[in-house]
Amino acid sequence: MPPPLALTVNGERRLLDDVPDSERLLDTIRWRLGLKGTKEGCRSGECGACTVLVDDRSTLSCLTLAHEVDGSTVTTIEGVARDPVGRTVQEMFARAGALQCGYCTPGFVLALVGLLKERGRAAPTEELLADLSGNLCRCTGYLSIARAVAMLPREGP
Amino acid sequence: MAPSFELVTPPSVEAAVAELAAGAPGEVAVLAGGTDLLFDLDSPRNPPRRVLSLRRLPWRTLDWNGPVLTVGSTLPLRALEEDAEVAARHPGLVQALRAVGGVPLRHRATLGGNLGRAAPASDLLPVLLALDAEVDLIGPTGARSLPVDRFLVGSRRTALAPGELIRSVRFPEPRPSAYLWQRVRPEHDISQVAVAAARSPTDGRWRIAVGGIPPRAVRLAEAEALLTSAVPPDSTVRSVAVRAAERLPIAADRRGSEEYRRHLLATLFERAVRQVAGSSAGGP
Repeated sequence: MPPPLALTVNGERRLLDDVPDSERLLDTIRWRLGLKGTKEGCRSGECGACTVLVDDRSTLSCLTLAHEVDGSTVTTIEGVARDPVGRTVQEMFARAGALQCGYCTPGFVLALVGLLKERGRAAPTEELLADLSGNLCRCTGYLSIARAVAMLPREGP
Repeated sequence: MAPSFELVTPPSVEAAVAELAAGAPGEVAVLAGGTDLLFDLDSPRNPPRRVLSLRRLPWRTLDWNGPVLTVGSTLPLRALEEDAEVAARHPGLVQALRAVGGVPLRHRATLGGNLGRAAPASDLLPVLLALDAEVDLIGPTGARSLPVDRFLVGSRRTALAPGELIRSVRFPEPRPSAYLWQRVRPEHDISQVAVAAARSPTDGRWRIAVGGIPPRAVRLAEAEALLTSAVPPDSTVRSVAVRAAERLPIAADRRGSEEYRRHLLATLFERAVRQVAGSSAGGP
């Protein structure tokens, strides 16, 4: 059996025993940690619904082995409001009504939070939208998502 | 349910090579970023018994030595794409990087993975060919380097010897370059046809490579030789592009007919060459 898996998930340190070598981070998050906000969409890296932050970098949890991120910090949608950038993105999505069925929302929010952490708040809206191209919305609610991005405050850290 | 396997994470290059060399062919799969491998592992025809992770090896590097750029095989593509010097000196490489999946995927995907997996649709292999990139390998009998053109053998086939790993990729010099592609759905499909163009400022010669057409990305040597100046006349570019598109063996598949692919190849060829010529005309 592999050694225990150590992750800091949404600020909480977790030590997980008996995680199989072949387990995806997505399944660890959903089934082992019970955090169902992270969604499984295509399971092949095309839709972005399973996006989480690993050490502040947006990551497809469906194409990442859990043991490959051993020792890392993981942020899921449940923990996004702990962070000021995450809270701001969440508020803008709510204000813009940037969701229909909501299935793609956690992935979009975390992908955007990751981009803002990488590039800073001053990044132009068009570039942020282009960099969200890995996230799909099957309801095609893109206009309201784009509105949420455009509404982000451009000043501050 | 995906088949299970044992994940091995060697702490050193020596240990990784030994581990890989000890496995029978097909028994060990090499894991870099995993974005292609893990997709495959959900329903493999011949599931590997062990997966060898490269994450502890010191290969997440990016180094300039004069004009030479050396990229460690496990550096995430996003780090390469976000580097200001890479963007300034290898514009076509950055265009190709941005054609790969979305940002969350590029945070894990790697150059080494693209080479080792050798998918016919990889958006990086054509530009590696056009930039004359070299692949640095390390194996049980030592280190060697191969030009990408010799490293690629066919669809999903490379010149990697048993026990050999990709350590880094070297780009010999900055070149004006461009990478253009066409897809049915731009944001989540593979390219139907893609063209990389570059012109060496030292030997003055053009490199044109095409991707998206199985079995593998290829240079169009005959066409390259017909482009004889930094800014070839539009009529020359057009006729060379059309001729190249007529000559390349192209088969139809569900992403496009043979005829449409030839049309795309000629069009993208022409645009890519013009883009590179335009940057030569305007810059130093």
